[in-house]
Amino acid sequence: MADFLQALGSGILVGLVYALLGLCIVIIFKASEAFNFAIGEFLVIGSFLFYMLFFDLRIPFLLALPLGLLAAGLVGALIERLTIKPLLGRSPISMTIVTLGLGFLLRSTVQLIWGSHTYSFFLDLPDITVIAGDYLFLSDPIWAGILSIITFALVLGLLFRTRWGLAIRAVSESQAKAMAFGINARFILLIIWGISSVCIAVAGIMISNFGALAAGSGIVGLRAMPVVLIGGMDSIVGALVGGIIIGVCESLAGTYIEPMGLIGFKDVAPYFLMLLVLFIRPYGLFGTVRIERV
Amino acid sequence: MLTVENLRVVYHDVISVLNGMSLEVRDGEILVIIGANGAGKTTLLRSIAGMIDFYDGDILEGDIKMDGVSIKGLDATDIMKRYNLTYVIEDRPIFWYLTMEENLGAASFSRWDSKVKTDIARVYEYFPVIKQLSNRKAGYASGGEQQMLAIGMALMTKPKVLLLDEPSLGLAPLITEELFNIIQRLNQSGITIMLVEQNAHAALQIGSRGYVMEMGRVVLDGQARELLNNEDVREFYLGSGKRERKSYKDAKRYKRRKRWL
Repeated sequence: MADFLQALGSGILVGLVYALLGLCIVIIFKASEAFNFAIGEFLVIGSFLFYMLFFDLRIPFLLALPLGLLAAGLVGALIERLTIKPLLGRSPISMTIVTLGLGFLLRSTVQLIWGSHTYSFFLDLPDITVIAGDYLFLSDPIWAGILSIITFALVLGLLFRTRWGLAIRAVSESQAKAMAFGINARFILLIIWGISSVCIAVAGIMISNFGALAAGSGIVGLRAMPVVLIGGMDSIVGALVGGIIIGVCESLAGTYIEPMGLIGFKDVAPYFLMLLVLFIRPYGLFGTVRIERV
Repeated sequence: MLTVENLRVVYHDVISVLNGMSLEVRDGEILVIIGANGAGKTTLLRSIAGMIDFYDGDILEGDIKMDGVSIKGLDATDIMKRYNLTYVIEDRPIFWYLTMEENLGAASFSRWDSKVKTDIARVYEYFPVIKQLSNRKAGYASGGEQQMLAIGMALMTKPKVLLLDEPSLGLAPLITEELFNIIQRLNQSGITIMLVEQNAHAALQIGSRGYVMEMGRVVLDGQARELLNNEDVREFYLGSGKRERKSYKDAKRYKRRKRWL
């Protein structure tokens, strides 16, 4: 039982980071119906930008974090302007394909700039390790969970409490209608990509803090795929729940199934779960309940 | 005054929709545009509102002027902000997954100022139905309520010129009548209205002038009352006029329409 609760707890903490990754996919998908396959590369770029500020330039953490995130947001917005904006009004499939190609391009660019060796990445946040009886929760995952949930909440607040969020939700529903009512859909799309890159960077920094950072670490970004497919491609709640489910599933698989000799099953388990969910609910657990008028 | 001069618009570089369209919208009038499906009415509105490139169309020739200044090629949001021209897309352009009130808020995004609250109240005054449903998701409202909301949203942008694309689409005759009364009231409050309609009879009754479009051109124009009594318009668009049976040859109406060109 102690094992189970331990696995559950650490699963949830990691799951919150995955939820943030899912959120990044969901807000872009809602706005342009495109799936951002370059999420892993955005993640690496965001982490490296922060790395430069914090480790190379030795700016204090509390200053380096916002600056790094700002830089990540600007890079995301720039990438949107160059690659996605010309496709506005075209089929979402073409945008999705563009992000695929973009992924390769960005990965190579990162390798050109930072090389492909591993950078040690240690944030040295205050130690808040929790040891209670049989349970042990390490400091880093707790920080990751806290920061992720804060970011998640901030994005939700922006979406549902501000007029910019209202405009974003309007554009998410229909770019043409939004434009007709004077909402600059192109600019809103830019902002959405910016926000999404910022969230990805937060997730990236937290994930890098678990281990190390390298040009290839972007692969973890694809973990967003089972998250959004389980939760529903266009549901923010779905991203949160899906993220936690994936985190827990991974952690349980690591605790119970891997010791049986299936080393590496931890990484496959989420995809099994995803298949299972998709068999039963093709739109994901929280996929849109389409409004039907009677 | 809004003038369209010799406009030629092509979709996807091949489909020619407007072939030399010219018209003018005088300040303070209700201009009615009627025409069969595919005559290019919606395209005309899209071109004026600056949304044509969003639909992959191009303006090849001609010009669109607002009080003598060309607005051709400007962005939709620029046209709306600078020239107070609002385009209400056909088929109730509301945001289904937002509540009625959020819809009104979203529509006032371009001009967020302290008067938004009073303007929302003014819209509620025009459309009391919306007030009752203000916290309901707009997608669940009936067709009439949705169209009222759409016009209410357009009002939130403080238009001087309002382009309405088939507001009566799919509405019951009584609701249509109510809607047209409101359009008339809006016009009396000083908003110039350009009304594209299939419901030609009702539209021409509230309109001051009208144009008949065909194949991307204006084929007939005049005072709304004259058009209402025009024999060809009566036959082709109002469905009245001669009632006797015709031979198949006569049913090929395009042959007769050619006379107008």
